[in-house]
Amino acid sequence: MNTAAITSDAPRASAWRRLLMRSEALRGYLLLSPTLIVMFGIMVIPMIGMVVLSFWTQLAGTTFDTALTLKNYSDAFTREMYRILFVRSLGVSLLTTLFTVLLAYPVAYYVAFHVKRHKMVWIILMTLPFWTSYLLRVFAWKIILGYNGAINSGLISLGAISEPLTFLLYNPTAVVITLTHAWAAFAILPIYVSLEKIDRSLLEAATDLGDGPVARFFRIVLPLSLPGIIAASVLIFIPTVGDYVTPSLVGGTDGYMISNAIQFQFARGNNWPLGAALSLSSMVIVTAIVLTFVFAVRRATARIG
Amino acid sequence: MNKNEIITALRADRVSRRGAMKALGAMGLTVATLPGMARRAVAQSERGTYFTWGGYDDEGLFGPFVAEHGTPPNFVTYGDAEEGFTKMKAGFVVDVVHPCSNDIPRWKESGLFRTIDTAKLSHFPDVFDKLATLPGAQDDAGQWYVPFEWGATSITYRTDVVDPGEGGESWTMLFDEQYKGKIAVIDSAADTWWCMAILAGVDISKPLTDEDIAKATEMMRKLHPQVRVYTNDMTSLAQSLASGEVVMAITWNEVPVQLQGEGVPVKFAAPKEGALTWNCGLMMHKDAPNPEDAHDIIDAMISTETGKYCIEEYGYGHSNAKSFDLVDAETLANLGLDIDPTDYIDAGNFIYPQTDEVETQMNRDFESVKTGF
Repeated sequence: MNTAAITSDAPRASAWRRLLMRSEALRGYLLLSPTLIVMFGIMVIPMIGMVVLSFWTQLAGTTFDTALTLKNYSDAFTREMYRILFVRSLGVSLLTTLFTVLLAYPVAYYVAFHVKRHKMVWIILMTLPFWTSYLLRVFAWKIILGYNGAINSGLISLGAISEPLTFLLYNPTAVVITLTHAWAAFAILPIYVSLEKIDRSLLEAATDLGDGPVARFFRIVLPLSLPGIIAASVLIFIPTVGDYVTPSLVGGTDGYMISNAIQFQFARGNNWPLGAALSLSSMVIVTAIVLTFVFAVRRATARIG
Repeated sequence: MNKNEIITALRADRVSRRGAMKALGAMGLTVATLPGMARRAVAQSERGTYFTWGGYDDEGLFGPFVAEHGTPPNFVTYGDAEEGFTKMKAGFVVDVVHPCSNDIPRWKESGLFRTIDTAKLSHFPDVFDKLATLPGAQDDAGQWYVPFEWGATSITYRTDVVDPGEGGESWTMLFDEQYKGKIAVIDSAADTWWCMAILAGVDISKPLTDEDIAKATEMMRKLHPQVRVYTNDMTSLAQSLASGEVVMAITWNEVPVQLQGEGVPVKFAAPKEGALTWNCGLMMHKDAPNPEDAHDIIDAMISTETGKYCIEEYGYGHSNAKSFDLVDAETLANLGLDIDPTDYIDAGNFIYPQTDEVETQMNRDFESVKTGF
């Protein structure tokens, strides 16, 4: 019995073992398999579902007409409402990305080059706002920008204005301000890392060869920190296009974004196929913009290099 | 390897790297699976879940339930009932949910609900007949809907700023140019769009025609430029009125009650075109995991104790006829509830239960007006 089991098992086990030993790729995928299974289960399958759904038609109630149609996509791209919402969302996200990177760069620069001790403390301080909930941070801005908010009551007590300013809240500007603050750490950290990695002897060499601080910054520091800037931009641009909490809390009616329209289709609008088509379209547009951006930056730096 | 073996092995410095990994791995697996097991155990003894508008998640409305079970039910909230309905259609299961009377036929048709066993409701005999027999509320199968509260949707306005003028209180007050950008409305077609339908002269007590829908949407479109904020949060509507950020808002009864209590000069208008009156109540999910709790929740909500709280704190009429006896006459008069509720209900502008198509069209119209189109 025992010997039989061993003899029949052994060759199979060793064949398997040999295969495992020989193929590095197989070992790699095997190690990755839990992640791959999860990714497949929660990303790929729902995505396929979304794609299929976007070609269906919603009937009243919960049922779908499963005949394939392009109508949802033609609605998404031809109806003025969605076109404007797409443009507005992209505009808000681009501005947010721009401001976040511009504001984050000096902070990251300072910590990377001028903070000598307790760098960890600085980094923790920068991420401190992230210890509270995202919703809370959005509400904080509602309080700052609000009718009786910090800015208005401050200006009134200084005598600068007599009536509270109403243009602070409930518009796209409020959305940009809130998002810029909310995503700051996502810009500071990658930029900091790429600045930190810069070889300091390059800076010394530039100085030795006669570059002033400004020339040195533009010729050495900025190009070498580009990977961080690109990472930060992509990291902020992609999620902010799809943000819907911030616009619904501080955006008012003018700050309504494409994600709010998508959310509406899946909730009260009861048009899931259109919602699916809108989200997939927004995904494709965002991907196209990000790819163009990364490609353009690569080309530009290649020329400099 | 048992516990003592590990300890002896550790002492003797005899633990191999593999042995240590095994022990740690086993521990990791145990820790990772523990929460799942614990949660499943809790789920069986969990309290009933009540799915409602934000604002009704108030322990005071569940006095008898708290007395019996020691805690209020689990609360899950939605922005408006349509949103909750969509969520349930997508598979969300609760015990008790809070629709309004015009939702009953559509909700029933979805097959997501079951009849409520009125024999288990000690307070059911005291519920106004008129409300318990609203269209669709009961049929041969039994009682589908138990009414809970009723009230109005109208304009709450700052009496120190807004003067209704010669014409008297009217929905047209909202269109006054001088208050442009100083108006807030409820972010739900089920309220605001219907108010505009009343103003547009649509008879809302019958099925709407396409023309009716177009008229109401047109009125909504005219209102839009006046509006500063759309919100479902009555507290934030009240705050905006109190701070003067807005001077008029479409609200439910609770907002003027709350603000008057704080000494803010506001009034709940009685528009000459008629306010929008509503009755909302409770339905039970067909797969309610805690049917006993569900009946307890419903019975608690139609108790006189809750009725008194509902009238005094929210300014809403209650479905239990006896709860009005517990509130003093002066309070009732202040709230405009000192009349025979049946008359109020008879005179009211209740929304006729519409079809899915009308509801969806209305919601889509509302959304597109709201976004400026």
